Amino acid sequence: MWRFVAPAFEGDFKVVLMDHVGAGGSDISAYDSAKYASLDGYADDIVELGRELGIHDGILVGHSVSAMIGVLASIKAPELFDTLILVGPSPRYIDDTDYTGGFGASDIEELLASFADNPLAWSAAMAPAIMGNRDRPELGQELTASFCRTDPKIAQEFARATFTSDNRADLPKVKARTLILQCRDDIIAGQTVGEYVRDKIGGSRLVLLDATGHCPNLSAPDEVVRAMRAFV
Amino acid sequence: MTEQISEYDYQELFDNAPCGYVLVRTDGIILRANGWLTTLLGYQWGSLDGTRFRDILSMASRILYETNLAPLLTLQDHIGEVTLDLKRRDGSTTPVIMGASAVSASSDQPGTIRIAFVQAGERRLYERELASARDDAERGLQREKRDGKLREQFVAVLGHDLRNPLASIAAATRILEKEALSERGRQVVGLMKGSTSRMSGLIDNVLDFARTRLGGGIGIELRDEHALEPLIEQVVEELRAANPAREVQATYSTIGPVRCDSGRIGQLVSNLLGNALSHGDALKPVSLRAETGDDGTFRLWVVNGGSPIPLEVMETLFHPFVRGQAHGTAEGLGLGLYIAQEIAKAHGGTLTVTSTETETRFTCEIPGKAASI
Repeated sequence: MWRFVAPAFEGDFKVVLMDHVGAGGSDISAYDSAKYASLDGYADDIVELGRELGIHDGILVGHSVSAMIGVLASIKAPELFDTLILVGPSPRYIDDTDYTGGFGASDIEELLASFADNPLAWSAAMAPAIMGNRDRPELGQELTASFCRTDPKIAQEFARATFTSDNRADLPKVKARTLILQCRDDIIAGQTVGEYVRDKIGGSRLVLLDATGHCPNLSAPDEVVRAMRAFV
Repeated sequence: MTEQISEYDYQELFDNAPCGYVLVRTDGIILRANGWLTTLLGYQWGSLDGTRFRDILSMASRILYETNLAPLLTLQDHIGEVTLDLKRRDGSTTPVIMGASAVSASSDQPGTIRIAFVQAGERRLYERELASARDDAERGLQREKRDGKLREQFVAVLGHDLRNPLASIAAATRILEKEALSERGRQVVGLMKGSTSRMSGLIDNVLDFARTRLGGGIGIELRDEHALEPLIEQVVEELRAANPAREVQATYSTIGPVRCDSGRIGQLVSNLLGNALSHGDALKPVSLRAETGDDGTFRLWVVNGGSPIPLEVMETLFHPFVRGQAHGTAEGLGLGLYIAQEIAKAHGGTLTVTSTETETRFTCEIPGKAASI
């Protein structure tokens, strides 16, 4: 997810990339359905990792659901990160009274049901970070192949935790200075959602990118790097 | 050949291909959708061109596309075998299998994604049936496992509850034995003692079986045992008492210190003797011999006469709940030999059997090197 972005910062920052448990190169055996049934479980991991690494006043960059996981982590342990960069965050995907998340509850049910039809596509895409390791492409393929075999169930539980989350009440608790990067035409986290996040996190800044879709870190890395540079 | 192929109209090949074919700009706008696809989705020819690709996807497929497939296509040139639902003009959906390849932008062409579809209705139904059958099987297996565990726990608990009253009966029998009793009274007390000891053995076996099945293993505590002979003799005496009509011969050669769990060895001897008494020829003696070899190996034989064990029974002789043709009322649960073998194994040893016209012989060997384990 960050292969085109991370190298731009490696000269000036100590960059730590992580795969959530259940995805990519993580230890699949550490996966626990109960712990990871909500985003809290993932946030706890970030806190644990941050403390283990002795991070203090660091910068946390999260994309999509990981942006919200980062928000939760920064609330749990404010000392770890003084800056948050949220790429395409959404505190809630399902529409609610006076809130447009972009999806109806039935859309999400349909989505979760569709996992059974598409185990390979879903789980392979859970592991994009390990794909096409330029130095050792065979390793990436091997890992992907083994991951695909391992667990579409994890992918589905991850999607459930993501798309049924509601972290709107957490946003005002954020103390870190926050940058929100918003794409145009992003159906997963639309512009009104980005604006909602900006309004709820005190003092945060929203930058509207020219990039379209949900993954500017892959489709428009240069623009993402520029926006991040300008903020940090 | 080349000349013949060049005669084809490629535009026509695209438009009337026997599969869906659509060319999408990297920003998600359809450049051209072919006839198969437009017709399948209920649109007028050409009316999809210029619209957004994601609008012909169901909501779930849209999320899959935006969060996974589109990013994947920036990392690798192609993806295949993806199952998607396309949305028709009337709002209904139709399942398809998709393959796609990404073509990078060049100076005169925008970056594009070429996407092909084939219909997957029947396949989807079949896959869903398979998936649901697999889920059913998994649920069934889980249920069975739970029930099985519960059954075994039930047996273990029951075994414990049976032990206490039995211990009371055994104690009461010992007290009665010391009273002045009539001849008939002594006989009855003797029978009671025999039955109590047999029942105690059965409960031990049931508990051990439950324990091995619950994953606890047979459980032994190894000590250097210097007085194994009196211990074995005590078990022999008990069985003699319980089977007064039968002859049980026991011989011992030098029994050096054996690293073992003496209680377990007693149980093993009891099970083997019990088995020999139940299944051997009642008119022939049962004999036992125990010795320690020069290399420190402890050996124990239990031999009985009678018909040989049939070949088909031999194969499963040491399996739990396998019961032979016992005479009289001595039929047990079929756990004795299984437990005996588990005990031998737990000591790093073996329990084997040979059976001929003249004798059936069980041999237990516990290697001396067990002392170092």
